[in-house]
Amino acid sequence: MVEVGRRRSGVSRGLVVAVGRTVPWRVVGVGAVVGLLVVWLPRLLGGTPDAWLGLNLLRAAALVFALGLAFLLDDPARRLTTPVPTRRWARTGLRVALVTPVAAVWWTAALLLVPAQSRPPVGPVTLEAGATAALALAAACVVVRFTEEPEPGASVAAGLLTFALLAPALIPSRWDLFVPVGDPAWAAAHVRWAAVLTAAVVTAVLCAPEPVRSLRSLRAAS
Amino acid sequence: MTTTVTASGLGLRYGGTRALDDVSLRLTPGVTGLLGPNGAGKTTLLRVLATAVPADRGSFTVLGHDPGTSRGRHQVRRSLGYLPQTPGLHPDFSAFEFVDYVAILKELTDRTARHREVRRVLEEVDLGDVRGRRIKKLSGGMRQRVALAAALVGDPGFLVLDEPTVGLDPEQRMRFRELIAGAGEGRTVLLSTHQTEDVAMLCHRVLVMARGRILFAGTPAELTARAAGRVWSSTERAPGAKAGWRTGTGSFRNVGDPPADAELLEPTLEDGYLLTLDDVSAEAAA
Repeated sequence: MVEVGRRRSGVSRGLVVAVGRTVPWRVVGVGAVVGLLVVWLPRLLGGTPDAWLGLNLLRAAALVFALGLAFLLDDPARRLTTPVPTRRWARTGLRVALVTPVAAVWWTAALLLVPAQSRPPVGPVTLEAGATAALALAAACVVVRFTEEPEPGASVAAGLLTFALLAPALIPSRWDLFVPVGDPAWAAAHVRWAAVLTAAVVTAVLCAPEPVRSLRSLRAAS
Repeated sequence: MTTTVTASGLGLRYGGTRALDDVSLRLTPGVTGLLGPNGAGKTTLLRVLATAVPADRGSFTVLGHDPGTSRGRHQVRRSLGYLPQTPGLHPDFSAFEFVDYVAILKELTDRTARHREVRRVLEEVDLGDVRGRRIKKLSGGMRQRVALAAALVGDPGFLVLDEPTVGLDPEQRMRFRELIAGAGEGRTVLLSTHQTEDVAMLCHRVLVMARGRILFAGTPAELTARAAGRVWSSTERAPGAKAGWRTGTGSFRNVGDPPADAELLEPTLEDGYLLTLDDVSAEAAA
């Protein structure tokens, strides 16, 4: 076996560059551009959005960007690279880490495209966008963890879009997430958004590692 | 001969299906063929041994490492080359970039040594001249060789190949056989295939699987010998034959229990394989 230059390392520069090249930047980029166009649309049409429209345009943009993020874990070579020493959580974590600064810059641009007078409170709406993105990533992590699908993006995006379209109708009003600015339920809704974000992050983290439990039981049986 | 891979009592269920049923085996350096019908559990066994999926029961070691521990699994993966049935490659990468990517995942972190190793394996699979070409522009056979190069990078001691010659034309298959034979020199190769010719030409040992169980383990000659005295020629399809087909000469080649006056033929590995599967089916039916 080749041992020259081989060492056990967490994250090397080479790994960052290599994983960075496998990120589906094209589809993430399409989500980002279309998302910005959604927010920019009223200006393109020569109008100025009011507060309600500003909020919902940002929500729509966040959803479109999240649809792109649903493809983040797509890896055509997944079957070939499953049994490699570099752990899956490291590769997944790197992909998320690489796309996070891009997402932050993109969201800042989206916010700035909404005129200040019609821009919703930045903190709460950022929480909504973060939770939407985290939901997309968590769903992709779940599919990767429990199936052998190398490219779950399309099915995850379809599921997320369906959920987003049906959620306002299906979620009981006392648990409503899509509340207008100034509504008495605004604060409570954002507590729920925080819960969604937490649940999504916890799910993604739990699904990122490999199924070690079964390997432990394998050892116990031996 | 040194045993490099041992497995004992491996079991795995997918829902109600028993994909692996108490599988025990020992592998030694050289190419071992794994034959079996569709759904026999070949791919599942390969995936378990490659640590791509955990078994429900049993244990195994690869080159002395136990994948039941995190450290052991890491060591197994450092000693492993795995070519799945449908490998999947990043189409926009060049052949060099893709194998280099896999080499990085295999923790070959020294750039100079890694690039030297990537060039070596691409030369080994005869892709040195097209290493800069994008994978999407390569033929199916070339892509399969890129995947083999990715499995070979890092010079693994245990190579797991799942039907690597499927979909290749006869010339490409012959080329792949040469590569696998070369890969089997000094390392342990487990080759799953439907092609009995591949086994006859490449393997020093053969395993036959069906219904998640190992039915036969031995040399290709021993498998062939199972059909000795059970292959015969006739002018019409023999009614008692387990299998029979008209050959190019117009006569029938029959496999099974021959009549007393039968004109016996020299058995092949395929005859031994068919009879091994058939004997087990008969036992199960009884």
